[in-house]
Amino acid sequence: MRIRLQIFSVCLLLAGCASRQPEADPPYYTVETIDLPEGLTAETGGLDFMPDGRLVACFNRGEVMIYDPETGQWELFAHGLHDPLGVKAVDNNEVLVMQRPELTRLVDEDGDGRADLYETVTDQFGLSGNYHEFAYGPAIGPDGSLFIGLNAASSNAGVWDELRGEYNPLGHTVGMFSAVPYRGWILKVNSDGSVEPWASGFRSPNGLGFDNEGNLFATDNQGDWVGTSKLFHIRKDQFYGHPASLVWESGFDVNPLSLPLPVLDKMRSRAAVLFPQGDLADSPTEPVVDNTGGRFGPFAGQLFVGEMGRARIMRVMLEEVDDAYQGAVVSFLDSTGLRLGNNRLVFGPDGSLWVGQTERKNGWIGSEGIQRIVWNGGTPIEVQSMNLTPTGFELLFTRPVDPDSAREMSAYRFTRYYYAYHAQYGSEQMDRQPVPVTNVELSPNRRRVSISLSRLVPGYIYELEICGVKAADGSPLEHNRLFYTLSRLKS
Amino acid sequence: MNKDASWHAVCLLLLFCLSAPSTFGPEPQADIQTVAKDDMVIEIKAVAGLQFDAVRFVVLPGAHVTLRLNNVDDMSHNLLITAPGSREAVVRASLDMGASGPGQDYAPNLPEVLWSLPLLEPGASAFITFTAPEQEGVYPYVCTVPGHGSVMYGAMYVTNEALPPLAEDPNVPPRQAAASNTAAAPHPYPYQPPTVQRTFMPDASPAAVATWLTDDLSYCWDAGRSMLRYAWRGGFIENAAHWQGKGEEIAQVVGSVFYRNEAGFPLRIGSPDHVPDARFHGYRLHEGIPTYHYRIDGVDVFERITARPEGDGLIRTFEIDGLEESLWFATSKTDGVTYQASAGTWINGMLQLGPAQARRFTVTMINQEPALP
Repeated sequence: MRIRLQIFSVCLLLAGCASRQPEADPPYYTVETIDLPEGLTAETGGLDFMPDGRLVACFNRGEVMIYDPETGQWELFAHGLHDPLGVKAVDNNEVLVMQRPELTRLVDEDGDGRADLYETVTDQFGLSGNYHEFAYGPAIGPDGSLFIGLNAASSNAGVWDELRGEYNPLGHTVGMFSAVPYRGWILKVNSDGSVEPWASGFRSPNGLGFDNEGNLFATDNQGDWVGTSKLFHIRKDQFYGHPASLVWESGFDVNPLSLPLPVLDKMRSRAAVLFPQGDLADSPTEPVVDNTGGRFGPFAGQLFVGEMGRARIMRVMLEEVDDAYQGAVVSFLDSTGLRLGNNRLVFGPDGSLWVGQTERKNGWIGSEGIQRIVWNGGTPIEVQSMNLTPTGFELLFTRPVDPDSAREMSAYRFTRYYYAYHAQYGSEQMDRQPVPVTNVELSPNRRRVSISLSRLVPGYIYELEICGVKAADGSPLEHNRLFYTLSRLKS
Repeated sequence: MNKDASWHAVCLLLLFCLSAPSTFGPEPQADIQTVAKDDMVIEIKAVAGLQFDAVRFVVLPGAHVTLRLNNVDDMSHNLLITAPGSREAVVRASLDMGASGPGQDYAPNLPEVLWSLPLLEPGASAFITFTAPEQEGVYPYVCTVPGHGSVMYGAMYVTNEALPPLAEDPNVPPRQAAASNTAAAPHPYPYQPPTVQRTFMPDASPAAVATWLTDDLSYCWDAGRSMLRYAWRGGFIENAAHWQGKGEEIAQVVGSVFYRNEAGFPLRIGSPDHVPDARFHGYRLHEGIPTYHYRIDGVDVFERITARPEGDGLIRTFEIDGLEESLWFATSKTDGVTYQASAGTWINGMLQLGPAQARRFTVTMINQEPALP
């Protein structure tokens, strides 16, 4: 039996697993491209909607512009900012922008449509001049509190002679480093402009966002100490793995890299979801929650995450296990007119998903512009949720499935592997091996499939490839590769 | 150089500086088409990214040319002018020099090498003078440091005719020709003074603000230290390189710095030696010009910097309310400007003002006349 299974697996590998071609997505979702004003280099750093339904966007060369979807007109709101990588509308005449040196409040005080006041909300963090010290956010919590993320500095460049903030040589580590305060941290910004160091251990947290329950999430990018890109559930005082930032813990007075690897490994909080490098994502960006109440399809409450290196948006299905979030990620949209460089996401008042793209010419793989993804109605056949059970996983499909194809054990092909935690850049998939399926059960309503596996081992990604499962009407599954990050077991 | 010639030089340099904003684009460059009958002064910079900032210039047949190379890059460069069509052969010959290359400034001993500027270390400059050929043609210039020659070159046009459009010019590096296609406005708004651009600036902290007051006058404010750092004449900044790639390149000042703060944080409270804690709070734009807001030892300061109507300096207007002690404004004798104040008393280069005077006062900084040659 085992031999037959393995042979079957090999056949599948060679033949590939039947999945819907990317070009077949448009029946359910359409990608529209937004016209841009002449002269704009539309490397998008931030997107948000104002209460009156206008889109506010910020761009690499320092512009903040407002787009009226009703008229298709763009207006300049503010200009001259330094590398703005996040914008949030406060009101119809006021926005917050995270630019490289500070979080800034822009206010149109005289009502002419242009910001007059460029007020520093906070600049209470360091700048070394290292080009990689990008700043992200703000994410705004349910109580109105602001959170910002600070990139670590690049090992490919040094620091300037003249800095802003205290220089700590212990943080100027090998690899990405944190030589000035709070690089590699997520900070809470208090109303008086002071900052509260909130969570550490980040390398490049290019994407912060809250879910509908008030949980803060942030992505981090593959590199040193980050074996593959991650989505973290951010909690106060936690350390998320990249060591350089530890120097800004109070009382910390050693080189963080002098800590033994097992100690760092024990200190760190694990990711909610890992994005397998190369297989799924190269550079995930902003997480945004589907708060549309169903106007974007059957995924209300789930997180969508952008991807820079591919024409892709991903969808994350989370669950709480032992008070911690973990779950699965799957591609949501591939190609179908979507461009590369999907840096910023926001849901519009009409329930469509707006995507801002960037590349920084010759800097990263990507593109320029703004697109929006519109749900055309209808229910795509997808795995709506993937939940751990004591013996395996339960899949909930968006629609009833064809029972013959869904009851086939060979339709569910699991592989497990993990990524090493180490100083080196990235990681191979370690200990990769197939996980035999021992049982499959279909619920009476034909939407739930319970799969039992021979073994569940925490600390692994369980990658599932679904082969041949169709909807009751014969439609093939839209996306058939799911990646569940198994950190904790259910008893 | 006689007086007429030096006047020409100033004129040409000024034209060169003024031309830079109009060619603002993703690649730093200048397209020098200014011609004069007799003496010509050409200034070329070796800049970051293996390129000359000017990828071509024109001289009249037989003109007396002074060519200055200013190496502002962080590696060494030379400049050789070759016979028409000989650039690649000269580059190959320089590679063949092997270990003897550095000692000979990578200048091969060939008749095709017409003139050369030696290998210049970062920050160094040198000039040569020569008489342009009577034979019209395109005379390439190139840096022959190994690895540079294939991309770091330009063209000296010896001609009485107009040049081809830069974008179609086969004699300049393709990337710089291509850049000219997108060298129009860098923004979706009129790119003209007054305007503000926060970016990485030289000789400032990483939190800098560049402000363009008039066509000729700009300054760098340092939001990291809440103070004016320097001011320059001749244009604004070239920021294209910073906006490309990952942002490691910093902005370049277009023009010449005439003022540089050498006194440190200028405002002192209570005594000339007490440097207060300064914290930046942003700015408000009035007619496009920022009024900065910062606090010194908890006291609000509003500072607005405008151009002197004569165009040769800055007027700094301060509004500081709530002081209980004297305010001092520190200057340096060597910072390049002369000072006038609307209130207060100058004592050893420091302006002293009482709390009432400090509520509103101006300090005017006038560009000192450059010394005559």
